[in-house]
Amino acid sequence: MLSDLLQMSVLASILAATLRIATPVLLAALGELVAERSGVYNMGVEGTMLMGAFTAYLAADGTGSLTLGLIAAMLTGALMSLLFAILVVTLGIEQIVTGLAINLLGSGLSVFWLRAAFASDAKSPTIALFEPLDIPGLAGLPFVGPVLFQQKLVTYLALLAVPAVWFFLYRTRQGLELRCCGENPKALDVKGLSVAARRYGAVVFGGAMAGAGGAFLTLATSARFVPEITAGRGWLAIVIVIAGMWRPGPVLLATLAFSFLDALQLQMQGIGIRVPYQILLAMPYAVAILALALRRRQSGAPEQLGIPYIRG
Amino acid sequence: MTPAAPHRWRIEVVRDATPRRRALSLAAVMLLALALCGLLLRAAGADPGTALAALVRGAFGSLNAATETLVRATPLIFTGLAAATAFRARVWNIGAEGQVFAGAICAYGLSHGLAGLSPLVQLPVVLAGAMIGGAAWAGLAGLLKTACRVDEVISTVMLNYIIVYVLSMLLLKGPWSEAGGFFEQTAKVDPGSVLPVILPGTRLHLGFALALLAALAMQVLLARTPLGYEIRGAGSNLRALSVQGASAARILILVMILSGLLAGLAGATEVYGVHGRLKAGAITGFGYAGIVVAILGGLRPWGVVGAAIFFGALVNGGTYMQIKTGVPSALIYAFEAIILLACLAGWAAAGLRIRKVADAV
Repeated sequence: MLSDLLQMSVLASILAATLRIATPVLLAALGELVAERSGVYNMGVEGTMLMGAFTAYLAADGTGSLTLGLIAAMLTGALMSLLFAILVVTLGIEQIVTGLAINLLGSGLSVFWLRAAFASDAKSPTIALFEPLDIPGLAGLPFVGPVLFQQKLVTYLALLAVPAVWFFLYRTRQGLELRCCGENPKALDVKGLSVAARRYGAVVFGGAMAGAGGAFLTLATSARFVPEITAGRGWLAIVIVIAGMWRPGPVLLATLAFSFLDALQLQMQGIGIRVPYQILLAMPYAVAILALALRRRQSGAPEQLGIPYIRG
Repeated sequence: MTPAAPHRWRIEVVRDATPRRRALSLAAVMLLALALCGLLLRAAGADPGTALAALVRGAFGSLNAATETLVRATPLIFTGLAAATAFRARVWNIGAEGQVFAGAICAYGLSHGLAGLSPLVQLPVVLAGAMIGGAAWAGLAGLLKTACRVDEVISTVMLNYIIVYVLSMLLLKGPWSEAGGFFEQTAKVDPGSVLPVILPGTRLHLGFALALLAALAMQVLLARTPLGYEIRGAGSNLRALSVQGASAARILILVMILSGLLAGLAGATEVYGVHGRLKAGAITGFGYAGIVVAILGGLRPWGVVGAAIFFGALVNGGTYMQIKTGVPSALIYAFEAIILLACLAGWAAAGLRIRKVADAV
């Protein structure tokens, strides 16, 4: 059995699956990372992803265009987060509870809309999926090709978003100001710069990314929306931001580690290793708790994370 | 015509919001929420008036409908109390969902070997099992927080996902699956372990009376006991409390255990009061709905009971509405979220005012 897992071709397929599985979580985690660096703890990722997954499916089914589906999901995610931002940034409501409300909204609205749009879950049509996009010249490489260069467009975009977010946060003036919102908002305020505007921007960006992550599930993986299709990926994104100590690079590593576990369990199910599949499915959640319990230091969290900024 | 003086709108905090102001603001947002729900009904192709009438009829139209509403409210009272207790202490136990599962699993595990014995033996075991299971699953999250500094929001959510697989493992070709059964469920539980009906001719069972008792107990505990004082204190001023010698870690663990045992009872009332067998479908969703109920009830025990009955009515009436008007009953869950958001916004808005201020030029 173990030798089956160690064959090169099997390893390549596990690693390729790792990147595929990582895509939605990575997108959502990068979005949450930016929101949290601005000082806002958005716990509504799960519901936002869910609505993204649903609207992507609805739009792609209606228009026949996957790109429009992706855009619809990002817009929906941005809208959900705008609502969240109004409640927590402007009205200063407890962020944890508001995030939960957003999750309930996403879960309720998506199921209701699905049932209203299609007679039954089984009768909802399937859509064409994103095709893998081979990178010319690289896709043919042995081992590396199938792992890295035969992925889908959104996966490349998610991976490119890591350095982009890093560059924005650490190498631009706006990024510095945004991080300052999370560490010392008063300093920005004193300079006459709006803390609220930057937090709105960060939260809405996070929502669009979560929407895109959700879209990947319906447009590149499942071909149809099923209730609770996100299955905790939004929560995993939040865990990954913590495990990644609020930095883009480590966030990528943490995402890959979780996704590798998931890919491994899929492969183990595939070759019939005799472990109850429920244990394999529960593993990422248990590992998430372990990862948080065993990490050496707490630091890395923005000083003002979760605390509303009230002027005056 | 002279141009208007430069000005902008500014949101300010009102420090002394009167109860009247709060009530007005809450009423205004609730109307907005109702209007939104009406829009959703219209979007589903139904006349909002007809649909709402069907909803009310389905919830309270007859003795049967009304008691069914109370049956639906029962687990929500427990999970609502669970969330309210934790939130009062600013402990973010999001894990009532999983603690309901843990309660049901533990109750079944301890009691299914007692088939045939008197209800006087079986019922206490069922209830105690539910409390132990819920408290243990919640206490685990509490320990993770105090011993390993794992945020309870994250750990309780992760534990929610894990316990669903634990149950699935026990039920799907597992030790507890119904012999020869195809579904992921146990066989019918022993009649001696079923919670007795308290109003003959209906399905209203002992669990509802226990839920009211739990609300009373929580009311007394919060208002009249040292632990209640500490819980309320932890919510408002933890530092002052530690100066008095209370340990934050001890309060956190106690609150988690209390919250978990309340949630666990919801698992027992559903399995032993309504469905008569253990299956995931019988106990799903009450934990998350309980959070909404707790907030809507203002984190007060009797408020929770009122909010739970309101939500029980929504769910119960929603089924009837679906039959009468074809509107998917899943709409109720969107309603719940909208009402929660409106409630939060109403609270916050009462403490804010918008004022025109001259622009500093």
